Amino acid sequence: MSEEKDQLDSIKESFESEFDRFSGLLKDGFKGMKLTAAEKLSKELSDFRVKHTGKKSPISGAMKLIGKVAPEKRADFGKSVQGIRSKIEGRIDEAESSLNRYIESSKTESERIDVTLPGRRHQKGHLHPMTILRQKIEDIFVSMGYAIEDDREIETDYYNFDALNIPKDHPARDSKDTFYTTDGLALRSQTSTVQIRAMERRGAPIRIIAPGRVYRRDTPDQTHTPMFHQIEGLCVDKDITMAHLKGTVSEWLRRMYGRETKTRFRPSYFPFTEPSAEFDFSCFKCSGTGEFEGDKCGTCRGSGWIELGGCGMVHPNVLEGCGIDHKVYSGFAFGFGLERMCALMYNLDDIRLMFENDVRFLRQFY
Amino acid sequence: MLISYKWLNELVSTGLDAEELSEKLTLIGLEIDGIHAKDDDTIFDIEVTSNRGDCLSHLGVARELSAALAKPINIPEIPSDSPSETSRVVIEDPKDCYRFTARIIEGVKVGPSPDWLVRKLDAVGERSINNIADITNYVMHELGQPMHAFDLDKLKEQRIVVRKARKGESIKTLDEEDRKLDVSVLAICDAESPVAVAGVMGGLDSGVTEETKNVLLEVACFDRDSIRSTSSRLNLSTEASYRFERGVDIEGVVRASNRAASLIAELTNGTLTEFSDVYPKRHKPVSISAPDLAAEFERLSGIALSIEKIDGSLEGLGIHKDSDGAYRIPSWRHDMSIPEDLVEEAARMHGYEKIGEELPRASSAGEYHSLEPRKRRLREVLASNGFDEAMSYSFVDAQKAGAFAKVKAMGAENEREVRIKDPIIEGADLMRPSLVSGLIDAVQTNFNHKALDLSLFEIGKAFATDDAGAPPLERELLGFVITGREAHANTALRGREMDFFDLKGAIETAGDSLGTPALVFRAAEIEHLQKGQSAEILLNGQPVGSAGKLSAEIANTYKFKQPVYIAELDLTAILETDETAATYSPLDVFPSITRDISLVVSDEVSLDQILRTVSGGGFKNLDSVSYVDTYSGKGMESGERSITIRIEYRSGARTLTDDEVDMAHEDVRNTLKSKLNAALR
Repeated sequence: MSEEKDQLDSIKESFESEFDRFSGLLKDGFKGMKLTAAEKLSKELSDFRVKHTGKKSPISGAMKLIGKVAPEKRADFGKSVQGIRSKIEGRIDEAESSLNRYIESSKTESERIDVTLPGRRHQKGHLHPMTILRQKIEDIFVSMGYAIEDDREIETDYYNFDALNIPKDHPARDSKDTFYTTDGLALRSQTSTVQIRAMERRGAPIRIIAPGRVYRRDTPDQTHTPMFHQIEGLCVDKDITMAHLKGTVSEWLRRMYGRETKTRFRPSYFPFTEPSAEFDFSCFKCSGTGEFEGDKCGTCRGSGWIELGGCGMVHPNVLEGCGIDHKVYSGFAFGFGLERMCALMYNLDDIRLMFENDVRFLRQFY
Repeated sequence: MLISYKWLNELVSTGLDAEELSEKLTLIGLEIDGIHAKDDDTIFDIEVTSNRGDCLSHLGVARELSAALAKPINIPEIPSDSPSETSRVVIEDPKDCYRFTARIIEGVKVGPSPDWLVRKLDAVGERSINNIADITNYVMHELGQPMHAFDLDKLKEQRIVVRKARKGESIKTLDEEDRKLDVSVLAICDAESPVAVAGVMGGLDSGVTEETKNVLLEVACFDRDSIRSTSSRLNLSTEASYRFERGVDIEGVVRASNRAASLIAELTNGTLTEFSDVYPKRHKPVSISAPDLAAEFERLSGIALSIEKIDGSLEGLGIHKDSDGAYRIPSWRHDMSIPEDLVEEAARMHGYEKIGEELPRASSAGEYHSLEPRKRRLREVLASNGFDEAMSYSFVDAQKAGAFAKVKAMGAENEREVRIKDPIIEGADLMRPSLVSGLIDAVQTNFNHKALDLSLFEIGKAFATDDAGAPPLERELLGFVITGREAHANTALRGREMDFFDLKGAIETAGDSLGTPALVFRAAEIEHLQKGQSAEILLNGQPVGSAGKLSAEIANTYKFKQPVYIAELDLTAILETDETAATYSPLDVFPSITRDISLVVSDEVSLDQILRTVSGGGFKNLDSVSYVDTYSGKGMESGERSITIRIEYRSGARTLTDDEVDMAHEDVRNTLKSKLNAALR
């Protein structure tokens, strides 16, 4: 019996002494070991496992002896052999999984990247700020039940003036203010021309928004260009009042600039509306206080209000001219300049930039 | 127009401080353009709308406030001397001069004005000249009536003739300018020649000087358009012309004359004598019939207000209801003729701020312009492909634009360009027939700023007309320009140099986003593009645009040092084409076999020809043919290149064998050899 015990002791001993070379590294957690060395070590460890637990290993030899031991000692011996085998396997498993973890983490470490390096993509392009603004306004009005209309930019005097109730002697007709072609046609001086054409086409009731280019003989400077964009709105139906005009313009501006936006309507004069008004909205920069960060607000020049456009109840002559009975229908119209709104929105100091196509400008908007 | 806070309060005790007053004026329609302190006064710069000539004075503004605040107006006491028609004044042109009064003041002593007068004028930005000129200015700012004082003794025969200037007549005006008059100009003349440009400016030679003893004070009323046209013709705008153009109170002429004459007499120790008034056609008050103004008011304003209240507001403005129920408009108002005008006045006085806010009840669903969704997609796709959106003026320089070929739609035989009369930007005399010249200008602008890598697109209208007198054609075009190298986000490293195929790719991308059938490129010579690098673009066989490299000739005139690629498409035509709809075909059941062919062909042979030769050859089991790549350079003769294509063979009934495919493929190879003179590799 002692002979067998000695044999088991020697198996244990020789495993321990050979395993010694791993246990040191294991204890240090393979600290500082290169990935290639670790991978080599991993190979050695698997050879080691074969040597100590494989078919030809001493412990496998001992297993085969179990049957040959005297029956009364067999159980004890078997238990001892199994114990040693599990211990050896356990030690190797532990070393192996530790080494594998080390190899995994070394590999991960070697694949580390700088995630702040740029993503791979084409430089993106930019929509023109006027497009961005126009689309935003169109979206709001479409959701409020308006149709977007568009029409001619070169117009007859009838559509540019007569149909809009602009008297024959009105200064706007002067070639000092309006551009004419050599054929005597006018470059439309307001998008209100679209009102007329749309009413002729669609009749009443009608709700439209008409964005487009208009032309006026202004010498270009920081706040003027001889060509600019307007958006015109028109709503004609039964029982339309100034309250609907105020409600519509205010709702639109609240959707543009936030629910707390206030509006102000001041009496004014336009030949195509009666009564007429101009509309202002509370400054989005200083929330209507006129002060921003302790200084006079630059956006509204300290008034708290931003003047935006003109509006009013469609003049009966305009309705009648389009074949709409002004005793049955009434309506409101409003209009404003997009460049000015755009300049306010982006804090632009010179609207001429809008048409120069300098990419240093264009690439600031999206 | 400048209005003094103190002066205003003399005419109506507003009981408001300057800030409150400013707010009130704004809310009744007198917009405050500026406000500044002056000595112990506050000056408002009021912007008066063009229809409200009656507000161009302290009295005019006071009248509005008196009505809005329900406070009485304190008009200074003015003597009420009655004039009579005399032979001193003759109006030869009653169409342009409605009324002319001449007051003679004798024995005046011209000198400096008293302090109170100097200060009042200073407040409204007028320089003091002498006591007589100052009074005329003072009364104009007070009552809104421009007037002019002549030295009576300098008028030939001491009389006035109001007539059109005669051919060749001229006048030296008070600003010491010699002005030639023409027959459209209304002139105030003495027995011989013009002594003043009516309603605009007096003459220098007949003006009041230190030596003047006797004065003729002119207070008149002229036709608004006549004054406007004179002012514009002489390019001379004055405080007087500004007011006459907007209309003065014809019934207030005598009062204004009395006011000024009595002040002049007082300040100069003069004696008032003859008072002439020629008034050929008396003013007939405007009357507006509005039997149910309260209903009309509610219909437009949305506010129910009693007729008493409405009438009360109007009364405050001098609009009185006659016994027959019609509203009589005062002589100083030139802007009222229909019931809606009365509604506006009542609403203004009631306050627009008291009108509620309501949304109209829903009627129909909103809708975008029918082409807008596709255009939006186009813009978004181009932007996400690196294109910046340009927007250029609709005006271009005819001389520059002449160098560019137009897309077909804008250049039909009988069409010509739309020219602008008197352009305002130098050289911008044409409504653009194409977007190209604008895009080239954009390239130049950016090159000047050392931005060399550009991808721009523009969507905008172009214009053309035909001689038939029909309104000009307006069509939306889509333009592209690219130059320089590919730009990648977040790195300063410039990418590959862009060429024709980057441009073509962008156009194809645009076509995809618009859902058009495939755009076809065909080699073509285009005026502004380099030969051999230019194509016309076809949609369903119809030309819709062009693309290519900008010709060296044009590039040189712009001093471009790198190639510029430019394209233009008729977007209107493309959008008029129906979008293609996807159709499903059953998935292939049997596998295909692919074979590549590399063929060396002369440069004359286009890829398109090769592909059509294969796809149209009726080869057995040929499923599809596609392009792989092109090689030229090392190992190739000049004038030839190698093109590789890939052919896919497939049967819908069974799996093909290699032998069958080899046979078909041999046919293809032979056909290419014989038809295109290709050497196969």
